[in-house]
Amino acid sequence: MEKILCKESFAGWLAALKGYDLYAPAFADAVWNHARIEAGTTPELDHTNTVRSVKEFAFPQREVFFRFEQTKGGAPTLTATVPDPAPTVIFGVRPCDGRAMPRNDKVFAAEFKDPYYWARRDKLTLVGLACAEPHSPNCFCQALGGAPDAEEGLDILMTDLGDRYHVKGVTGRGIEIMVRGSDAFDEARAADKKQVQERHAAARAVGQRGVNDLGKIAEAIRQRFDDALWQDMARTCIGCGICTFLCPTCHCFDINDEVICQSPCSGERVRTWDNCQFADFTMHTSGHNPRHDLGARLRQRISHKFLYFVDNHGTQQCTGCGRCISECPVGIDIVRVLDTVSQP
Amino acid sequence: MLNPAKTMTPVQDDFEPKIVAFLCKWCSSAGSDLAGVSRLQYPPNAVPIQVMCSGSVSPLYIMSAFKKGADGVLVSGCHPGDCHYMKGNYFARRRLFLVQKLLNFVGLEKDRFRMSWVSAAEGAKFAEVVGDFVRDIKALGPQRRLKVRR
Amino acid sequence: MVSIEELRACAAKLLDEGKVKAVIGYRRGSAGLLAEPCVIDQPADTESLIWDPGCVHNLALYLVKDKKAQAASKTPDKRPLAVVAKGCDSRAVAVLLQENFFKREDVVVIGVSCEGTGVVDARKLAAKLKGRTASQVEFDGADGFKVTIGNTESRVPASEILADRCLECRAPSPVLNDVLFGTAVEQRELAMPFTAVKAAEAASEEERWASWEHHFDRCLRCFACRSVCPMCYCPECVVDSTSFVITAETSAEDKANRVRWCERSAGSGESALYHLTRAMHLAGRCVDCGECERVCPVNIPLRLLNTKLEMEAFEMFEYQAGRDVSQASLLSSFRDEDPNSFVR
Repeated sequence: MEKILCKESFAGWLAALKGYDLYAPAFADAVWNHARIEAGTTPELDHTNTVRSVKEFAFPQREVFFRFEQTKGGAPTLTATVPDPAPTVIFGVRPCDGRAMPRNDKVFAAEFKDPYYWARRDKLTLVGLACAEPHSPNCFCQALGGAPDAEEGLDILMTDLGDRYHVKGVTGRGIEIMVRGSDAFDEARAADKKQVQERHAAARAVGQRGVNDLGKIAEAIRQRFDDALWQDMARTCIGCGICTFLCPTCHCFDINDEVICQSPCSGERVRTWDNCQFADFTMHTSGHNPRHDLGARLRQRISHKFLYFVDNHGTQQCTGCGRCISECPVGIDIVRVLDTVSQP
Repeated sequence: MLNPAKTMTPVQDDFEPKIVAFLCKWCSSAGSDLAGVSRLQYPPNAVPIQVMCSGSVSPLYIMSAFKKGADGVLVSGCHPGDCHYMKGNYFARRRLFLVQKLLNFVGLEKDRFRMSWVSAAEGAKFAEVVGDFVRDIKALGPQRRLKVRR
Repeated sequence: MVSIEELRACAAKLLDEGKVKAVIGYRRGSAGLLAEPCVIDQPADTESLIWDPGCVHNLALYLVKDKKAQAASKTPDKRPLAVVAKGCDSRAVAVLLQENFFKREDVVVIGVSCEGTGVVDARKLAAKLKGRTASQVEFDGADGFKVTIGNTESRVPASEILADRCLECRAPSPVLNDVLFGTAVEQRELAMPFTAVKAAEAASEEERWASWEHHFDRCLRCFACRSVCPMCYCPECVVDSTSFVITAETSAEDKANRVRWCERSAGSGESALYHLTRAMHLAGRCVDCGECERVCPVNIPLRLLNTKLEMEAFEMFEYQAGRDVSQASLLSSFRDEDPNSFVR
């Protein structure tokens, strides 16, 4: 389904989405992030990319698995806390973030279907916005099979045509919210479609950073597991969690019991984001840490994305959004790392 | 001594604040004992935690108490010059001066944190310090700012 | 002006003569406008050293990292390290010396004077550009920058994109150095000490809390602030609990009841405890290099917490961190006339 949405009609579409929680990027505290918007407002969608990715809408930083309580001598009681969120629409999702979600879906459905993730994921509609130009000098989506107008993972793809948007329903979920607001839309004419194609082609033609020999990287990582280059590249790494927490595809987590009260014993079992760059990520109870230095942790981050994930799921666990490069405090650059690894 | 005029001030009756009181073993803790054996009446809202010295109270203890929902935190030690360890209370004074400034800077109400010097002989002063603190905190209501939300 | 050729020659000479095992400096990064830290061990590589307003990092951090690595190594290399240090960075070295973290002979300080300017604040620049990234920033006279975005160049006054810490800096020249590049400046014209913190203080208690609650709520707990700080050198941070010894005899209850000052969950309460405790641990030690605030991916004004304490220490105790290697540290000293009126 392809439609045209005049920018003045945007509010009309949102007004038709009663019952949905609506989010759009907002520029606050000098960073772009998703913020709740009210029906009837018009999001500007002139954003670069949000610092926090869309993964948190399905995989929040903190998820309560269940609550527990035990009075002395009594049997423990558990209370289920599987979330039941309102259907949620996120506007302005960049195609790199869109492509990240099917990768996360693989992880949370591969062996076990994660009920918490899917309770949120099944309610999520991602409305993408094609990039007219790379929004950061560190974009490299095309090097990983994506594009400024990639539809993968998105429910709707919007393309900015100046005073109006071209809106393409990609999935049933996307078409559903277009149908709900059908009064706001006009039919897309052949001229509009042609203009969209031109915009997409122009965006693709803008130079981006490239990755050399993507096909050879998995094998190169395997071969160079014990190479000194990892230590060398991690020499300035400070071991913070920015690269992984901001990554739209990093999904490692930790599970803890948070005791709220000792008597009667009550608390919550909680899943929180965890991070392969932290020392305690692989710390054994004995005190031994198999990944004892930053080189080993950098290797793990790269290997997970470009080797293990390829082995397990047949695709890279990276969509080229460039957050880990732009936000790294010391300029560790995943593209440069990949090039270094793949160069003999 | 308890000041009847002060303690009679009407406040929210249904709210009983929980105060975590870090009391040094040598002076303030003994002072609180004296208040007890002297049968002085003072509010039961303070949960005493005996520490070896007011200088041993880490800012972390204070932050942690507020995080767990304390409505007020009191640190009490020996008067300057009387520290069992010579200098502990001087270190505490400097450190906790900064703590109270920092807590107020982020917007915690000034009256939530208090420091006092109470000697082993000052049972009445201890009762007064706690009485005043409870009265002031009752006026503020429950502490919600630094308390963890679940 | 700092002569980069002379600085490179100095670094090459130190390496050539074997006086240091490596030089820690800045080089052009591939991740954007900011420089990146580098560790140089070959005299020829000193050609890549640079000095420009993108050299924001406090390289004293790498002295700490090296000291820790050597302490853990079976074959430690105890030769000294050379470090390129701005005024603020040299204060960090001074505090580390004051705390006996390493010895004076372990470090060669290559001082660079910021003279009339300072370093650029990438967030301020991004805020001006609404999230877009500049590709290059150069000094353009003493009070301005030339900013390049794509193909367009513009001139921006220094006061608009200079980091707050630079605008407020009282000591732009290294207090401690073995060799100094650039002119030593005692006091700079722009110096407006504690401007930001005084502005924050002027708000009411309710407003202050509203603002900090907003910030603590946004904290991702990526711990970049802690990781980038040269003063955060504790082997184990209080918010982690990695040193809890578990043996065959440790019961489930012991594990559940172990001291956990801070849970893994992000959120206002937990994050407030982390940031406030960290601020107290840095009282009298923070040299206002502003790194914590710079690296924060969600732009929490962390520097305010530290400068608040710095201001109190200066006004009440006449204490300035890093001013003098031989001074007693703020919290391990006292005077009879310290403020007493706040105590009942």
